[in-house]
Amino acid sequence: MGPESNKVGQSAPPAHLSVRGIQKRFGGVHALRGVDFEVARGEVMALVGDNGAGKSTLMKVLAGAYVADDGQFFLDGTNVSIASPNDAADLGIQIVYQDLALCENLDVAANLSLGSEPVKPGWTILPRILRPLDDLEMEVKAKEAFNKLEVRTLQSVRAKVGGLSGGQRQAIAIARAVGADSTVVMLDEPTAALGVAQTRQVLEVVKRLRETNHAVVYISHNMRDIFNVADRICVLRHGGNVATYQRSETTPDEIVVAMTRGRANEANDAA
Amino acid sequence: MQPDGKISGLDRFRIMRETRIGSFAPVLLALAAIWAWFGLALPLWDLASGEADSFRAIFLSPRNIYNLFMQSALIATLAVGITTVLLLGEIDLSAAATAGVCAALLGVLVLAGIPGWLACLIVMAIGIVMGAAQGVLVAYVGIPSFVVTLAGLLGYQGLMQKILPTGNLNVGDPFVRGFTRVLIPDTWGLALGMLCILLFAYASLQRQARRRALGLEVDPSPALWGQVLAFGTIVIAVIVTLNAYRSLPLLLVLLVGITSLLGWITTSTPFGRSLFAVGGNAESARRAGFNVNRIRVAAFGIVGLMAAIGGIFGASRFGSVSYTAFAGGSLLLEAIGAAVIGGTSLFGGRGSVWNAILGALLIGSLGNGLDLTGASAADKLMVSGAILILAVAIDALSRRDGSVGQ
Repeated sequence: MGPESNKVGQSAPPAHLSVRGIQKRFGGVHALRGVDFEVARGEVMALVGDNGAGKSTLMKVLAGAYVADDGQFFLDGTNVSIASPNDAADLGIQIVYQDLALCENLDVAANLSLGSEPVKPGWTILPRILRPLDDLEMEVKAKEAFNKLEVRTLQSVRAKVGGLSGGQRQAIAIARAVGADSTVVMLDEPTAALGVAQTRQVLEVVKRLRETNHAVVYISHNMRDIFNVADRICVLRHGGNVATYQRSETTPDEIVVAMTRGRANEANDAA
Repeated sequence: MQPDGKISGLDRFRIMRETRIGSFAPVLLALAAIWAWFGLALPLWDLASGEADSFRAIFLSPRNIYNLFMQSALIATLAVGITTVLLLGEIDLSAAATAGVCAALLGVLVLAGIPGWLACLIVMAIGIVMGAAQGVLVAYVGIPSFVVTLAGLLGYQGLMQKILPTGNLNVGDPFVRGFTRVLIPDTWGLALGMLCILLFAYASLQRQARRRALGLEVDPSPALWGQVLAFGTIVIAVIVTLNAYRSLPLLLVLLVGITSLLGWITTSTPFGRSLFAVGGNAESARRAGFNVNRIRVAAFGIVGLMAAIGGIFGASRFGSVSYTAFAGGSLLLEAIGAAVIGGTSLFGGRGSVWNAILGALLIGSLGNGLDLTGASAADKLMVSGAILILAVAIDALSRRDGSVGQ
């Protein structure tokens, strides 16, 4: 295989979100050196790399939390720009941060609608923040979201998040990202703090996201999880692409080598 | 995921605290216990030991209940305001001093011939500014609210002394005095109570019907009717008792009205939801798109407004403004104590303004009951301290989470 054949795009479905030549500098640190990345709908794209490889930076650029110094963004082939979290949200790109950003003192339905609470119609004399909440609508939305993701471990959308398990919380955070009419969902280490059974539940939800035709970006260090859910695996190293592999055509060992030493033939070229 | 059927007593307690009625239970039980002690146990003991020749229920007499409500009203007004900042996880130590400044200004303004209603509006605006100014320091400068409001406490105490060099001023304005003097006629009071009960029942049923229509979980009917019945019993009992002595005073109607409004704002509007969200996890709230700083300033503005209203109520009830009744006395600690005893968490994110009213009633009952039994000031302080510790302990126990089920 030539050096290009393992790059993004080979034997892949047409990309939903793709970026080309992303550059990002923090002062003297060149965090992203012209990274290409893409993800298609109905696909789980794993994003892996050693610490400092640029995974989180790339994800934050995609989410609009960082602004890229250079590079192009395409959504379904159309050139778009992502300069703020709102831009990303408007394009249907949602991120589930590692700490989930849930409020434990609120119930599940309230967390799902946090920041975009539905209000009852009418009451237009009042400013929006003082109009009556439609909390039943919130519960309906929450139930729909969980049905869509086939999450069955939650007994009630009226339960307080504080009493729920890590896996359930992850499911809530994912459901919130999906509920916002998103097409791209990025998950940052979703199973890092979970036990075996809960990890399995979260992976089920991730697979379900693929079935609902979302484009899923999955960041993880855990090879077992990656080989369980991912369709393709994009390896970053020192802020650049190493390669993108089809899961069916690679092994965990090959990925680990790519993460730590770059691609074997590349190393040979350099030598 | 959680092993079912194995729920410890503490978990049960936490689950109960999470429900709407359950959060009232501890303070209601404590209130019932205090009333039973002062109202029944002590008189019976006197009777049995021969100290009294007949059963005298002084504490539970309509006259004393009336006084009790009026005494607690000022604490309750401040406690309701303080609850809004406690929900954010902040604290306001300056509320009583703000009330004092506002009351003193009110006295000076009406003395200068400004009509009572205008003077009330002016001091309410000033209260909002005094509160919001502290909120700006907390939110935008980033000083902990404890320090900002401690400075506010000292500064406003001084300001009150500046406004009232003699430390005392009589307020005879009929409008201001009217808040406590105007009584709602007996039948009107009862009609008002009935109206409230009907509205409550209608709202509950309406909600239940919508839940059913939307296919959501429905509360069991006995629980629904139990709520309506409990609410109705309390409302009617209070009005009948007050009617038996004088009548329903305008002050209490206003207090309940303001608390209802604030209760509705904190539980049923996006603003209220943002208060709880910031109190629960400020960073999550910020990422969800809430303007956390503006919410903080607004909450402190609400405390300022409630403190000003408290100042007006106090001036109305005492007929005078004095340094010791507001800034220099125990009002502040009683108000914070009332909010916390009611079940509002000092850690933010949990509580309700209605609990503050019950907490204020509890503190008021304790003081009133101990006064009636001739307890010394020392006894009162020690009992109040013990009750406060108990309330905070309950708060801390019900807060410890994450380990539920595993």
